[in-house]
Amino acid sequence: MSNLGIGTDEWVAQHEERLASQSPLKKLFARIPLWAKWGSFFLIAFLFGMLSDNQYLLRVGVNLALFIMLSYGLNIVVGYAGILDLGYVAFYGFGAYGYALLSSEQLGQHWPTYVTVPFITILTAILGYLISLPSRRLFGDYLAIVTLFFGQVFVQLVLASDNITFPWADDYVDITAGSNGIPGLDTFNLFGYIFDDIKDYYWLLMVIVLVLTVAIHRVSATRIGRAWRTVREDALVSEVMGVSVKRVKTLAFVAGATIAGFAGTIFAGMQTSVFINGFDLPLMVMIYAAIILGGSGSLAGALIGAIIMTILPELLRVPNYGAILFFVALLLTFFVLSKKFSRFLIYVVSIILIGFAFQLAMKAIGVTQANAEDWVVGFTGDLLKNWLFVPENRILWGNFAFILLLSLIAFFSIAKPIWKHVLLPFIGFTAIFLWEVRLIADVSTTRQLIIGAMLVVLMILRPQGLFGQTRVEIL
Amino acid sequence: MKLFSKLSAIVASSALALTGLVAIATPAKAADCTGTVAIMAPLTGGVAFIGKEQSGFAQVAIADVNAKNGSKIEFKEYDTQLDAAQAATQAPNIVANKSVIGVVGPAGSQEVLAVGGLFGANDIAVVSPSATRTNLTAGTYPSFFRPIPNDGLQGPGNARYMVQTLKAKEVAVIEEKTAYGTGLAKEFLAEMKKLKVKATNFAVNEKNADYAAVVTRISKTADFVFVTFQDAAKSQQVAQELIKQKKKAVVFGSDGSDQPTFKTPGTYVSGFAPDVSGLAVAASAVAAYKAKTGATSITTFGPPAYVAAQVIAEAAVRACAAGKTGDRATVLAEIKKTKIKKTILGGPLEFTATGDVKGGRFYIFQTQKDGSRKSIG
Amino acid sequence: MDYLGQQLINGLTLGGVYALIALGYTLVYGVLQILNFAHGDVYMIGAFLGFFAMTWLGGPLAPTVPVALMLLVMFLIAMMGTGLLGIVIERFAYRPLRNSTRIAPLISALGVSILLQNGALLIFSPSIRSYDTSSYIPSTLGFSVGELTIDSVRLGVLVLSAVLMILLTKWVNGTQVGRAMRAIAYDKDAAVMMGIDVDRVIRWTFFVGAALAGAAGVMNGLLLRGVSSGMGLIPGLKGFTAAVIGGIGSVPGAMLGGLLLGVIESLAQGYLSTNFADTITFILLITFMLFRPNGILGRPMMVKV
Repeated sequence: MSNLGIGTDEWVAQHEERLASQSPLKKLFARIPLWAKWGSFFLIAFLFGMLSDNQYLLRVGVNLALFIMLSYGLNIVVGYAGILDLGYVAFYGFGAYGYALLSSEQLGQHWPTYVTVPFITILTAILGYLISLPSRRLFGDYLAIVTLFFGQVFVQLVLASDNITFPWADDYVDITAGSNGIPGLDTFNLFGYIFDDIKDYYWLLMVIVLVLTVAIHRVSATRIGRAWRTVREDALVSEVMGVSVKRVKTLAFVAGATIAGFAGTIFAGMQTSVFINGFDLPLMVMIYAAIILGGSGSLAGALIGAIIMTILPELLRVPNYGAILFFVALLLTFFVLSKKFSRFLIYVVSIILIGFAFQLAMKAIGVTQANAEDWVVGFTGDLLKNWLFVPENRILWGNFAFILLLSLIAFFSIAKPIWKHVLLPFIGFTAIFLWEVRLIADVSTTRQLIIGAMLVVLMILRPQGLFGQTRVEIL
Repeated sequence: MKLFSKLSAIVASSALALTGLVAIATPAKAADCTGTVAIMAPLTGGVAFIGKEQSGFAQVAIADVNAKNGSKIEFKEYDTQLDAAQAATQAPNIVANKSVIGVVGPAGSQEVLAVGGLFGANDIAVVSPSATRTNLTAGTYPSFFRPIPNDGLQGPGNARYMVQTLKAKEVAVIEEKTAYGTGLAKEFLAEMKKLKVKATNFAVNEKNADYAAVVTRISKTADFVFVTFQDAAKSQQVAQELIKQKKKAVVFGSDGSDQPTFKTPGTYVSGFAPDVSGLAVAASAVAAYKAKTGATSITTFGPPAYVAAQVIAEAAVRACAAGKTGDRATVLAEIKKTKIKKTILGGPLEFTATGDVKGGRFYIFQTQKDGSRKSIG
Repeated sequence: MDYLGQQLINGLTLGGVYALIALGYTLVYGVLQILNFAHGDVYMIGAFLGFFAMTWLGGPLAPTVPVALMLLVMFLIAMMGTGLLGIVIERFAYRPLRNSTRIAPLISALGVSILLQNGALLIFSPSIRSYDTSSYIPSTLGFSVGELTIDSVRLGVLVLSAVLMILLTKWVNGTQVGRAMRAIAYDKDAAVMMGIDVDRVIRWTFFVGAALAGAAGVMNGLLLRGVSSGMGLIPGLKGFTAAVIGGIGSVPGAMLGGLLLGVIESLAQGYLSTNFADTITFILLITFMLFRPNGILGRPMMVKV
């Protein structure tokens, strides 16, 4: 059954069968009403806002809310309408810079918030409309690259506009402050209520996300929402069916841009400073990762994706959380690969034995051992320090283990089943060795490595994303 | 399953017991001097070379201070990727960590702008090894210090040296569009205007692939090309490209170019230290850094981070001696009183009231035929 | 005139490097219709491999073999190494996703890119490595015609990228694998029915594409910039740009696109404001794409009827 191509007649015929074979957990989850699932998320967010006074966590919450807005917006463009917009983050930057220029000493303007925010948001919508005009001529990857260019034009223009010279003038003109960025922005001030606490932004954003969630959910069930999806699936057929493809695409593009621009103004007000490198490709890439990880075209997916891409990197800053994630993932992999519990135990015991053998071997050839206090970070190191032999030259041995591990995994993927059983404990040991010797001490790099590995593994396990539907795709 | 859970329970409980035993065996000494130095730096991303080196040197400094005083000061890394938003997210995290007594970093001037206020309000000392923008020490951030002189000294200083000592008649400037490069180039150009020497500015993107096109554009009569790169390999490339295109202009690098990779004979470079890599005081720190991280060479970003961490850690030790272990306000007050006879940068260190180096100056070197540097001013 | 000539030389060398990167995108796109966003990082690994090959042979200051041989070894090691890396990336990050949506490989490529960058940061340390070319190839060595000069490294890069492109064209047109590759690009299902081993062809495609990026990485080290873990992002983007403006999937298109991009960049920097050069380049490219929505040599997108 599994080797049937998605979309073939036999695959379609087995739809019911596949539903029936779903795991009970999945069925249970499907039975929970929609409002309850969403409600629980907002309830948690609400309780957190009520109970917590931790500035850092609130700031992470604000970052998360902004990220959710961005992934909602991009989800409309990419997930609903199927436009690969690689310049999306420029709208966010435009909103932020727009707010900054009208609320700082940079141009000496201090407009009231209730004027600036709607004004800039509408301006972003117009910009989105203008950019969508030429983009109508283009399809697929060609459209993607033109939107990428637009995004880059924005970044380069902001960078360069601190030094505009005219032939007739002696001095240069500075509009955007270029790479210096614009600090000292006014915080939001709504009719006398000054947003001087991060919590003010937290509540504001929570309301906005709630409204957006309901709105997008409603719209996606209307004519427009259905039109978006048909255009994504097959533009030609929808045109034949009387859908104005151009109008529908433009609408999606503008809707996405507007949300991003709005989010940008809030970001600028909250951060009270803007710098152009925050609106460049790295952020773009993270938003894409979020919506595709969650499942492109699914509102819940965009939310979950945003949560993963915001919360996980923050959690991984703490070595112990990284260690828990690493060891749980390792055990889980072994558990899944071994299929039988007895075999799993054999693997674990073999890893332990390899550890002792390694210790003996290293001592026999006279490698100097590192002091435990030099390498133990977090509780896993404490647990393992009498078992694991850590050589003094951790850099060299760590690099060696890194390359060995990669080669072992590569070899594992093409090896015969018998060899796989032999290889697995060695892979396990090398992974633990590498983790304790090198990775846990270098949290920031490891954090990125885990995120990278997670993207690859999750995509392979679930190409359609966590909440995505497997779809028939037409090239 | 049962067997496994029993086994794991036994393992876990014995491990707990063991740690408990260890804790009882070594009772906490009253004189223990503890505290955490937070390191904010771009540890990953495009300029990871800056942050990794700053963090490595800061760690070496803390270890040195601990070894000397028997203190137990720790460090904790906070990756900001040179992004002000990430720095602003981590700042409250650092404030909430009660053991933090001071911050080494953040690396970029724009990050200081984003977090300086919060740290100031919480009495946390911020000692940045590389934020050189002049206006950061205008008094806005009461807890901000930097162990290196600022752009306001370097840009005009280099301009004056070029015109008055080297008799430059016409110069070109390659301004790299980063928070570091732009600020410095602006200071330099302003001084050139005062000195009434023709200076043509070429603002170039940090991610520019090839400098040949810009070099072709530099006038044949220009005497010097002042470059504000953070990566000396670029200065080296500009210098070589000038030779290749048979232009007479000589590269004059800012302190960002003060690295061994920039070694074309006859070029000039300014540095905030008499000479970092050649000094005997610095040698052990450099060696320790290389051993710790496996790095093969050092740039100008690392050694000031050593000094920054040293300043904080030593102030913390003095605070301990005064019976105020881990008290942020005391550490901050002690940092203000910093008096180091000879840092690894080669000179003495004291701070002005606004956090700049007292009597800070730049040194100018010329690269010799064998690639070594000779101090000329 | 000399000034224009000099800027054209600058642009063509840069364009040659871009073209080699672009070819990797276009070859992979041709057979799999996916954008290999880890390609820029393959280029970075190539630059590192070339550097380590050089250090292995005594380093820039005291090479133990003749310089020409050292350069040859540097290129060979970098190209072989990245070629194998390309095969491994395909095996782990793309093959499991071959029949999934088009957007999924984009994200797994992104994951690979993050892994390669940070793996390199971890293993190679953050130091920026310099090839220090002027130590073994004097910068004064070169040719000049009037005011126009071209130094030996630049000339070498120009010639080598031309040679590699000619070899590639011969490979695509002349060999059995090359023909199979074109067949798959044209109609994958039919190619399978004709008995073409698709896996083998895809492996070859990744090998060749990655090896070209490796060569480009070494050229970058010799001529352009220092080598560091984050260096792949922008050249990767430029290579992608070049491939698309050339017409993605078209081999000569990628070459033309690369050269065009290099020349536009040089001329924008050389004649207009350096400050606005990047803005102008992108605006020019947008305009170009609007007039030729399928790139220079791209086929119009097939529309299903």
